[in-house]
Amino acid sequence: MAARAPATISVPSVHVSGAGLAFDGFPLFDDLSIDLAAGEWTILLGPSGVGKTSLLRLIAGLEGASAGTVRCDDGLPVSERVAYMAQQDLLLPWLSLQDNVLLGARLRGSIDSRSRARARELLTRVGLGDRIDALPAACSGGMRQRAAVARTLFEDRPIVLMDEPFSALDAITRLQLQDIAAELLGDRTVLLITHDPFEALRLGHTVRVMTGRPAQIGAPLAPPGTPPRPATTPELIALHATLLARLAAAAETGADAP
Amino acid sequence: MMLNRYTRPLVILAGLLAAWQAVVVLTGVPPFILPPPGDVAAALRNRTGVIFDNAWVTLIEIVAGFLIGTAVGMTSALTMAAFRPARQWLMPVMVVSQAIPVFALAPVLTLWLGYGMESKIAMAVLIIYFPVTAAFHDGLRQTETGWIDMARVMNASRRATLRHIRIPAALPSLGSGLRVAAAVAPIGAVVGEWVGSSAGLGYLMLHANARVQIDLMFAALFVLAIIACAFYFAIDAVARRMTPWQPSPQPDEDTK
Amino acid sequence: MKKPFLPAIAAVILAVSTPAAAAEKMTVLLDWFVNPDHGPLYVAQERGYFRDAGLEVSFKAPADPNDPPKLVAAGKADLAVSYQPQLHVQVDRGLPLVRVATLVATPLNSLVVLRDSGIRTIAGLKGKTVGFSIGGFEDALLRAMLEKNGLRLSDIKLVNVNFSLSPALVSGKVDAVIGAFRNFELNQLDILKRPGLAFYVEEEGVPAYDELIMVANSKDVSGPHMRKFVGAIERGVQYLVNHPDESWNLFIKGRKDLDDELNRRAWRDTIPRFALRPGALDRNRYATFAGFLKQQGLIKTVLPLDKYAVELN
Repeated sequence: MAARAPATISVPSVHVSGAGLAFDGFPLFDDLSIDLAAGEWTILLGPSGVGKTSLLRLIAGLEGASAGTVRCDDGLPVSERVAYMAQQDLLLPWLSLQDNVLLGARLRGSIDSRSRARARELLTRVGLGDRIDALPAACSGGMRQRAAVARTLFEDRPIVLMDEPFSALDAITRLQLQDIAAELLGDRTVLLITHDPFEALRLGHTVRVMTGRPAQIGAPLAPPGTPPRPATTPELIALHATLLARLAAAAETGADAP
Repeated sequence: MMLNRYTRPLVILAGLLAAWQAVVVLTGVPPFILPPPGDVAAALRNRTGVIFDNAWVTLIEIVAGFLIGTAVGMTSALTMAAFRPARQWLMPVMVVSQAIPVFALAPVLTLWLGYGMESKIAMAVLIIYFPVTAAFHDGLRQTETGWIDMARVMNASRRATLRHIRIPAALPSLGSGLRVAAAVAPIGAVVGEWVGSSAGLGYLMLHANARVQIDLMFAALFVLAIIACAFYFAIDAVARRMTPWQPSPQPDEDTK
Repeated sequence: MKKPFLPAIAAVILAVSTPAAAAEKMTVLLDWFVNPDHGPLYVAQERGYFRDAGLEVSFKAPADPNDPPKLVAAGKADLAVSYQPQLHVQVDRGLPLVRVATLVATPLNSLVVLRDSGIRTIAGLKGKTVGFSIGGFEDALLRAMLEKNGLRLSDIKLVNVNFSLSPALVSGKVDAVIGAFRNFELNQLDILKRPGLAFYVEEEGVPAYDELIMVANSKDVSGPHMRKFVGAIERGVQYLVNHPDESWNLFIKGRKDLDDELNRRAWRDTIPRFALRPGALDRNRYATFAGFLKQQGLIKTVLPLDKYAVELN
């Protein structure tokens, strides 16, 4: 429920237009477009296998499309401006939490005492100040995903792509992680993929549903208020029902799709 | 008495000796085929100098063969992981090195490298090349894709990803390969000695056998077994130290 | 009362139609892969001399030449082809073995150098490398040969080349080899076009001995089948000496892999060395050689000869 933190770095909007990707000969999506508003959280919902992860990987530069472009409104390239979080925490088991947070700097060969201090500070911010030297195996799932948030913060990238980052956590831990991420990454351009419509409504400035084969992205849904929205907000309950209906309808048409 | 990591091997050894004695007594096997443990112990006492001198030679062959074979194997695995074309060329070499029985190569190596320790070290290297390379290479290839993706998004170079992610992730696999190598390196050394040598426990066994000094032959064999076991446990300890983040494989069940 | 007769008649018919005695099976372990040194055995086999003596003999070639005498001593085979020098060492170590026949009545062992090495006498081996295959007594032979030529064992370097004597010599890895059989390795070197120069052990200070003998377990020696076996070998040698070419054909009959240039030459060179009287025992020769081995420190005691060598026919 913290207010949105003021933007500390210049944050672009991201535009995907006319993207096409085929999987095993079947077009996953064809002439697909989506805009991620600058400094805002766009949530992508949809049934399994529809292509959400492929779209995210396309934006991240992990996969090439057969057609289409990914551009930022400030004209600078997307690569080198992306931070990535997955469902698994992706912590390297042989490194302490601090060294894991520093991973990007280590890979780029730019570790110094300043970055070490920054890593410690970020771990403290996510509530892991007393576990800086712990190995991931000694931490719970929730702690590890918090460390992953700290790592994402350390990367200090304007665009953050998150693929179901909280779905492996229990309900209470999930709510806590949602609040932490919303607070600390609230000023970035974020694409969050989730299965959980409630999470989408809590965290998103814009919620989109991706359905069909080839996939299409439905009209945006903008819940009222600023994220992270309290779980008890009455409008959320109504919108939750709407979203569920949209997803169910997609599942049905999906069954008829070739 | 509490059985722990140190006393258990001694108990096992005592059990094996008792079984050996039982076999000799119950089957009436003549001492020139299987001498009783007492005769072998006597040979160990009376011929300590000869046994020790030859044991030292074989130990050097094993250790040197292991170190060189491991270095060559790890280099091969890294090369294959870093450069794709290297894999196509090195993979068949690896498989052939494993498929050809050591006996066939031993005489050739001995003719090339002579009858000294070099040919025995070469044999040990050949025998462990495949286990080490295959294990390390598999580990390097099977890195978690999530980590590789993350590294790419972090704009890491291929070299940085190899150094900071793929190699540490492959250390447990390498450890398995090293354990296998430690177990088979002695075989390479001893087979090399059988084919042509003037020193070493394998040579001593041949010599004792020809002179019908079977108690000495078994004494040499016993010492060889001790060396091989000790070497294996040493390498096992090294492999475990290499991967401190891995949980201990056997929880101590004795603490009940 | 006809019924009881039928089984009785059947029994009588069976008794009459069974051969007088089933052939006695005997296993003979060779000392090495089949080679011309085993000539008399195979001639006797092919000419049916064993069958005539009521014996059914099978030959087995071992992987390790040290095994056959041990297996015979352990009762796992009837006879082994072995070497007189090793018999002395084996009985000294307590193996219950007895020599019952001689196959090759001269030494075959020799010290060989390459002709193009420039070494003309044993004295020329000072400071050189000598390869050997482990037989257990090569250093005793060498010591005697070197001392006869004014050298000591410490003047040469001994290297175990296992059984790869000719390749070691030809590749120059060693300057000389001991344990080369004069009927074999010398021909092998000729075929490789690197002829050898041989020093014969019995001409250089080593007492003469039987290179190839047949040994049996001391328990079996008195059985009649042993005597018959030796008799069959004697017939084999006789035929071989009288019909050397036909004997060669019998040797390679059904064993085409033996028909090569090396074996042909070795056959020719071995014929004069087969014991013409396989059963005969030269008591003096055995006693002298035992004394030689004791003096060289290879055996502890000289046992009474009857304990380990007998004449059966």
